[in-house]
Amino acid sequence: MNKYASQWQSPDMTKRLARRYAAERRFRLLGVAAIAISLSFLAFLLFTMLKNGLGGIDWAFLTGSDSTDAGNAGIWGAFKGSLLTMAVTLVLSFPLGVLSAIWLEEFAPRARWVEWIEVSINNLAAVPSIIFGLLGLAIFIQLFGMPRSSPLVGGMTLALMTMPVIVIAARNAVQAVPPSIRDAALAVGASPVQATFHHVLPLALPGILTGTIIGMARALGETAPLLIIGMRMFAATPPQGITDSSTVLPMQVFLWSGEIDRAFVQNTSAAIIALLFFLLAMNGLAIYLRAKFETRW
Amino acid sequence: MSPAIVLALLLALGGAAWFAARGRAQAMYTGRGSLRAMPNYHGWHMALWVLVPALLGWGVWNAIAPGLIHGAIMAHPAAQGLPAMDMERDAIVNEAIAAAKSGGFGAFRPESAALTGPVKEILARFDWIGAGLSLVLALAGGAFGYTRVTRDFPARTRVERAVLGLLLAASSVAIITTLGIIGSLVFEAFRFFTFVSPFDFLFGTNWNPDPFAPINPEIGKKLGAVPLFWGTLFIGAIIAMIVAVPLGLMSAIYLTQYASARFRKWVKPMLEILAGVPTVVYGYFAALTVAPLVRDFAAGIGVANPTTESALAAGLVMGVMIIPFVSSMADDSIAAVPQAMRDGSLAMGATKSETIRKVLIPAALPGIVAGVMLAISRAIGETMIVYMAAGAAARLSANPFDSMTTVTYQIARLLTGDGDFAHPSTLSAFALGLVLFGVTLVLNIVALRVVKRFREAYE
Repeated sequence: MNKYASQWQSPDMTKRLARRYAAERRFRLLGVAAIAISLSFLAFLLFTMLKNGLGGIDWAFLTGSDSTDAGNAGIWGAFKGSLLTMAVTLVLSFPLGVLSAIWLEEFAPRARWVEWIEVSINNLAAVPSIIFGLLGLAIFIQLFGMPRSSPLVGGMTLALMTMPVIVIAARNAVQAVPPSIRDAALAVGASPVQATFHHVLPLALPGILTGTIIGMARALGETAPLLIIGMRMFAATPPQGITDSSTVLPMQVFLWSGEIDRAFVQNTSAAIIALLFFLLAMNGLAIYLRAKFETRW
Repeated sequence: MSPAIVLALLLALGGAAWFAARGRAQAMYTGRGSLRAMPNYHGWHMALWVLVPALLGWGVWNAIAPGLIHGAIMAHPAAQGLPAMDMERDAIVNEAIAAAKSGGFGAFRPESAALTGPVKEILARFDWIGAGLSLVLALAGGAFGYTRVTRDFPARTRVERAVLGLLLAASSVAIITTLGIIGSLVFEAFRFFTFVSPFDFLFGTNWNPDPFAPINPEIGKKLGAVPLFWGTLFIGAIIAMIVAVPLGLMSAIYLTQYASARFRKWVKPMLEILAGVPTVVYGYFAALTVAPLVRDFAAGIGVANPTTESALAAGLVMGVMIIPFVSSMADDSIAAVPQAMRDGSLAMGATKSETIRKVLIPAALPGIVAGVMLAISRAIGETMIVYMAAGAAARLSANPFDSMTTVTYQIARLLTGDGDFAHPSTLSAFALGLVLFGVTLVLNIVALRVVKRFREAYE
């Protein structure tokens, strides 16, 4: 007879179980460590920027333009360039994105060429941003002769980049509207276009707006394509219109980061704080919108 | 007239047309069923007739006007004294046009300064012609639209047809963009390959572009892109993935399998902030903080002459940037594994970690691999981090402490330099762009296929 009540209590088994539970704890610890490492990197980044830059933020910095003297340089010129660029991007990409999402979800026939449109939208969303810069340079500037370094060209380039993001978000939002809404509208005599624009679109709008804000936040932080189309320039005065030469906020960060004068470290970090502040505010707004208007059907 | 005024005028006309047609239709309304379409739709129909032909005509005019303006300037008596040489003459004329548009500034040559006055008149005349043309089209379209307001005119169907056309046009922008990217890359890359053979470019190991070098057959010897491809792969596909895959995978596993709902709700958005930080910020952080740390570490372990710019610094930071991406892809593919498989394993007495390692991860592997491929495609297309932290030296080295350069870095540098756009060194940026576009496209297509197959397997 075995002297133990069951095999589970034999010393071998106890050891074995202890080993397995130890492995379980180690694995769990690895997961915690992975998250801790990632988040501490983020904390380290934010801390460095705050430490270097917080002292540089004052009224003169927020209202000034670029200058060769670190003490006089400010971000208003670059920020205004960003605003103009974002305005062009929004005006182009929002209607284009929403309309093509509606067409793809509600009206597109099942056909080969429609599949091509879908494939190209999905691929555009994954094309490296610098490629859009090459497109902007070759088509908008070289072929159409549009003004180099201008918010117009920058905005158009970023609009092409942002549009697929909006299309994908808008398609998901339109898909989430239950078919009964459409059926009800059609049943009382609305045409398909009326059912879509009067009933489906308003219900999908919060989701579309959330996606749009996220896409715009991405465009606001984008640097590489604008580098290619020449928005890397010293602008001592804010741009007056969308065809003026100008720079944008992330580009200002890039330009200052290349300055040899150590005094620009503070400016760079301060500009980064301003940039991150706007991005966080936009993302916060998106999260708020999603929470407030999210409907579970 | 400035474009803004023309646009505003056309929009105002469109609005007026809307009210006019709607009013006329309303006047015809005598009771239920007396009109085939609601008055609003009559309004829209006429507004479309005002706006669409006018905007089309105006667009066409603006497309052909520069050529006509050029011809008119040439025919002007003030242009008779210009040099016969085409290039010089065009430069003078362009300068005069730019000066006329900006109110007299920018005419540096005396010839173009003398031309500025006449050019201004010509420009103004052509602007007036364009504006007049579009107004005439608007009025003609409006008149036609107004006659269509009758009792049995199906205005709604017509308007809806136009709306569907608009939707289709918006959708086709995506495909036009794709074609535009491919077209411009292929066209400029083709120009490049008329100077340099594709073989030299794809397999040469010496990269030393000089936008001022004389153009001769020897130039291909300095434009071999293998060191760039290697640098890109080493930083984006090797170093960054060594950082991002374990960290991303483990955090996804912890968040989905172990963490409480509360913890997940707070930590997941915080992790996603990592993906939302602009790349230029990462680049600055890599150059300012991470790179010196890496250099000191290299000096500490006895690497001779460590440089501040290193592949390791850029790759590390890029890896951190990719973590949320890998994490959410892994999250999705683990969630797609059927619950029954996990339940079965747990029921057999396996611990949670054993279930994850032996059941969930093998089952989710195709999805995870696809996610890693997408992450690689994102990493090799990343520009700012490598631009600010990896360096410009094109070298074939497996030492992560060396400075290295990438495809995206070279594209950005070649196109922001002072060189002539038509020089092979500058054009090589488009050939590099074509390679980058092709590689990321293939990675994406394959990865999406794998994900799709994988989803189908469990459905």
